[in-house]
Amino acid sequence: MQMYPEQIAKALINESFHSRRLVVAMFVIVNVVMLTAGLLWPKSYMGSTSIIVDEKSIMEPLMKGAAVATETADRNRNVREVILGRRIMGQVLERAGWLADHPAALEQEALIEHIKARTTITPVGRDVVKIEYRDSDEGRTLFVTKTFADLFIQEMIAQKESEARSAFDFIDKQAQEYQQKLAAAEEEIRQLRSSNLDARPGSEIEINARLIALNTRIENTTTELREAEMKRASLERQVNGEAEVTVLATREGQFRARIADLQAKLDTLRLSFHDTHPDVVQLKNQIQDLMAEASAQRERREKARPSQRSGPDETLVNNPVYQQLRRELSQSQLTIDALKARIAEAKRLLQEELNRGKGLLHSGDARLVELTRDHQINREIYQDLLYRRERARVSVSMGSDRQGSAFKVLEPARSRPSPNAPRFWQFVLGGVMLGVFVPFGLLFARLRFDPHVRLANAISERHKVPVAAIVPHLWSPGELTGLRRELAILASVVAVTLTLSATLSVVRLLGVL
Amino acid sequence: MSKIEKALKKAGDERGNLQVVPAAAAGGRTAPWTALVGQQIQVPETISRMAENERKLLSAAELWERGVIHPQHTEEPAVQVFRELRTKIIQQSQEQNAVILVAAVSEGNGGSFIARNLAAAFAFDSAKTALLVDCNLRNPSVHELLSDAMLPGLADYFENPEMDVSKIIHPVGIARFRAIATGGLREIPAEYFVSVKMRRLMDSLRERYRERFIILDGPPMSDIADARILSELSDYVLVVARHGRTTNAQIESGLNAISSRKLLGIVFNDEPRVPWIR
Repeated sequence: MQMYPEQIAKALINESFHSRRLVVAMFVIVNVVMLTAGLLWPKSYMGSTSIIVDEKSIMEPLMKGAAVATETADRNRNVREVILGRRIMGQVLERAGWLADHPAALEQEALIEHIKARTTITPVGRDVVKIEYRDSDEGRTLFVTKTFADLFIQEMIAQKESEARSAFDFIDKQAQEYQQKLAAAEEEIRQLRSSNLDARPGSEIEINARLIALNTRIENTTTELREAEMKRASLERQVNGEAEVTVLATREGQFRARIADLQAKLDTLRLSFHDTHPDVVQLKNQIQDLMAEASAQRERREKARPSQRSGPDETLVNNPVYQQLRRELSQSQLTIDALKARIAEAKRLLQEELNRGKGLLHSGDARLVELTRDHQINREIYQDLLYRRERARVSVSMGSDRQGSAFKVLEPARSRPSPNAPRFWQFVLGGVMLGVFVPFGLLFARLRFDPHVRLANAISERHKVPVAAIVPHLWSPGELTGLRRELAILASVVAVTLTLSATLSVVRLLGVL
Repeated sequence: MSKIEKALKKAGDERGNLQVVPAAAAGGRTAPWTALVGQQIQVPETISRMAENERKLLSAAELWERGVIHPQHTEEPAVQVFRELRTKIIQQSQEQNAVILVAAVSEGNGGSFIARNLAAAFAFDSAKTALLVDCNLRNPSVHELLSDAMLPGLADYFENPEMDVSKIIHPVGIARFRAIATGGLREIPAEYFVSVKMRRLMDSLRERYRERFIILDGPPMSDIADARILSELSDYVLVVARHGRTTNAQIESGLNAISSRKLLGIVFNDEPRVPWIR
């Protein structure tokens, strides 16, 4: 049947008035039920705590650069697994006193499931995980939340510790392996060396260096030789040009030269002075002295001449320059000889080195190079491992001392009334609203589905018979008086119900109930 | 209300509600009422004669207490409804008087209430009279309107062949409204309705006063036989269904019992209404 909203509204108003007692009774019942439900509804508390979780694998920083770590599993799932895991759950059950009356295994399982259902673990940001737990008991809520956080951190630290230890063990094992490898390589190199003395790392380079040195030396010596030969040639030329002996000047000659000199000076003085001038006199004396000396010298020579006929001529002496040149020439000759010998020696050594280099190429030098290279790499890795091992050792001791732990309680556990649990005022309000809507809904349903006729137009529509008249209820004065009284009673019933709701709300708000 | 109006009202109360039509009280919305006033001029002889043996008329308040409408209850929606229903019937009968059967679909649907008030609505019109005949043998109620429940009624009429019809027609305290009760609280066999005497009674009632509308307060239609017989005797049938009491199945079977030719329609009775709200 098609009905317009205003028709429905009018019909509903009329129907509700018609069934006013029923409506009020339902209002009261619904309110009482809701109030009772609100009072009996178990209180719900929400405990929450936040934990900083830095769950990077300890292997990762330790092995950084040396090995590639596998991807760590999803952190939140991991945290959830740990917290809701059997181990922590078991401890929570025990500590919170659920096991006081020794429940059977199946019951324990049910309890755990129950706790799990009331626990939510949500990630907050990158490294913070929030644990929330709901319960009806305030103290227990706080305790369980706190226990969750404590046990989780404990568990994670223990895990970290064992992880660090295993990391250390792993690195230690690796270091040992490399040590053995290194030792083996060293042994092999030693053996190779003993079988081939020249086989030393870098012997080829050494030979090359020596060859270069020898070559340099030969060249230098050759240059020196050439210089020496040129010097000799020059000296020879000079020696040929120089007289072997030279004439020595006599003493008498010297005196005469001196006399002549003084005579000239005397002549000059005589131009200005008399012969009696002291200076002239002095000069004359000097000349006389010198002449006397010269004659004496001549005489002594004259006398000595017959005896000294066989002896060398006094005036003839060896030329010192010639002597010097001769000496240098011979020196130069010596130098040339020495340089020639040196060059020959260097050439011999060069040949020897070349021979040695040739021999080296044929021996196990390539093997040695390989071994040396391996050895070098192994040694580097080994040293690196040693370094990492020490770091791992520090990590282990850090873990055992709980130093630098990446798990910390960020926000300590606290409990408060659960925000999701229905509040008492919600029950009150819901009661009032349902108290209105439920009767109206039922009246509407009755209007639609009641086999009894409640709407005039339903008759004409159904039976195709005109409705001659719709007679409204005729209220007699007596009925109206009774109705007034009835309405007053019903209103007071509604008022009492609402007052009761309000009173209970206030009492509840004050925390008495 | 002016003094004149008060005086008029008092006079009306004493003499029946004939002239009590204060224009102010009637208001503009009671058009038939003004028409009624106009008709007062042509009051037939019979009605004036009727007024002579009228017993003391009941006041509006007294009628209201008995669940009978009164033209003074202008605030009451039911008054308007019955008035419209009456007008509808008069239009249907082309101003001729008629026998109208009012039958409830089932027991307790207020068939008697509708019959009584419809009669009262006919009686509003000063040019019309109404006769309510109690044909609800199992649960008679018309005698309640009479001053004495033991006054002779239908049973007496059938049992006593010599009895004149006028002996069983009684005033009820409402102007131009007469009633025939079942007659005491005796059991009347339903066979009386099929008798020739019953038919003759109907004819005589109809013929005697041309302006008289005869309303039969019929038995519930669950009593199919009686309802059918009475519908045969009447010109029009009104079926009464009550809010929240009647099922569609009952209406269906009730409608099947009567000729659709005579059916005026269904009167939906006792629709809930909040008083003080119009």
